[in-house]
Amino acid sequence: MASGDAQLAADFAAGDPDSVRAVYESYGRLVYAVAYKVLGDSGLAEDATQQAFVQAWRSAHRFDPTQALGPWLATIARRAAIDIYRQSRRNRGHASLEAAEPLLASAPPSAEQIYEVWEVRRAVDSLPPDEAQLVRLQHFTGLTHSQIATRLGVPVGTVKSRTHRAHRRLVGLLDHLRAGGPGAPSREAGG
Amino acid sequence: MTDDQRAAYLAGDDAAAHEPVALPASDVAALDDLRGLLADHALWAEPPAELGERVVAAVAAARENPATGPTPLHAVRRASHRRWIMLSAAAAVIIALALGVFFGTRTTSNPEKFAATLAATELQPNASGDVTLTKSTSGWRIELHADGLPRRDNGRYYEAWLKSADGVLVPVGTFNDGRDVTLWSAVSPADFTTFTITRQVVGAGEDSSGQVVLAGTTKRA
Repeated sequence: MASGDAQLAADFAAGDPDSVRAVYESYGRLVYAVAYKVLGDSGLAEDATQQAFVQAWRSAHRFDPTQALGPWLATIARRAAIDIYRQSRRNRGHASLEAAEPLLASAPPSAEQIYEVWEVRRAVDSLPPDEAQLVRLQHFTGLTHSQIATRLGVPVGTVKSRTHRAHRRLVGLLDHLRAGGPGAPSREAGG
Repeated sequence: MTDDQRAAYLAGDDAAAHEPVALPASDVAALDDLRGLLADHALWAEPPAELGERVVAAVAAARENPATGPTPLHAVRRASHRRWIMLSAAAAVIIALALGVFFGTRTTSNPEKFAATLAATELQPNASGDVTLTKSTSGWRIELHADGLPRRDNGRYYEAWLKSADGVLVPVGTFNDGRDVTLWSAVSPADFTTFTITRQVVGAGEDSSGQVVLAGTTKRA
């Protein structure tokens, strides 16, 4: 655990607006990704992200400074997202929500799945922008190497070599997932 | 299996690309899971730029009033005034819920919005501004942009209010500089349709000073 996390959490618990902003800048996109994974809706994910940070602030005094801040926030984000989903379901009517959004009506992702989303998102965010773009175009957009080459205006061979380099870096960044990861969130956050 | 082989498997864009590499079944399963994650929208979803400020404002509001969560209501208010506020807020929530059930089609991803153009008064004739009120699960987020208001410090400040047609006044936050402010309201601008900003002084009482510098009427956006 980085000592910076402990200091950040202490400042966060004190409610200093600058530290709240700093925690958001470090972890906001990851918290949003977790919320989006649970809810599948950008508006609800925004609400869940806001609620997660408020809940984290309320329970920051219980944060164990020997642990990493990220997995602790991921656990809170998952719970906040589930709360938002339930709240949304109550407000809008259970039956109509299930009919309109069957994804939300299924069981929420497990803590382990959330941890994987968190770690993969973090790894992708740490790639150089051109490599992240290649990974996105290939896996999310679903383009072949040839299509990526056409879109980016570079030779297919260049796409292949850059793509391999990006994935090599990604595999290295995610090696700890194969080993079962020391930071896996096996505990529930307080508050 | 080496990292290069794993990278080659992930980077391959058709089945033929995988054939040269002999992969243990467990590794293939893990890499296929990773492929699935990389194709997941959650991996690439980006929060809106303003969400950070919204989070900071929500934590600030929760700090001001930790018992009830993000709310703009000040902790220190006269009891009678607070009762009025709570009753008004409860009435607003009931009305909002009733309207929600009646219309029943709005979603959180397309939030309800109100807006107002703010006009100056003779107290600050060069001032101008606009305000947008967006519904969220925490309350109404109010984005205020005001020009021509001199900064107030050292015990002097501005306070924003929402007022209903029958004159019930609800405070929605205080600030020093009006150029880019986020405020929060627990009452709906559908019922509290007049938005005002007053000059206030610490120690001069909790009610509105009546020194209105900007005012406008909220309309559905």
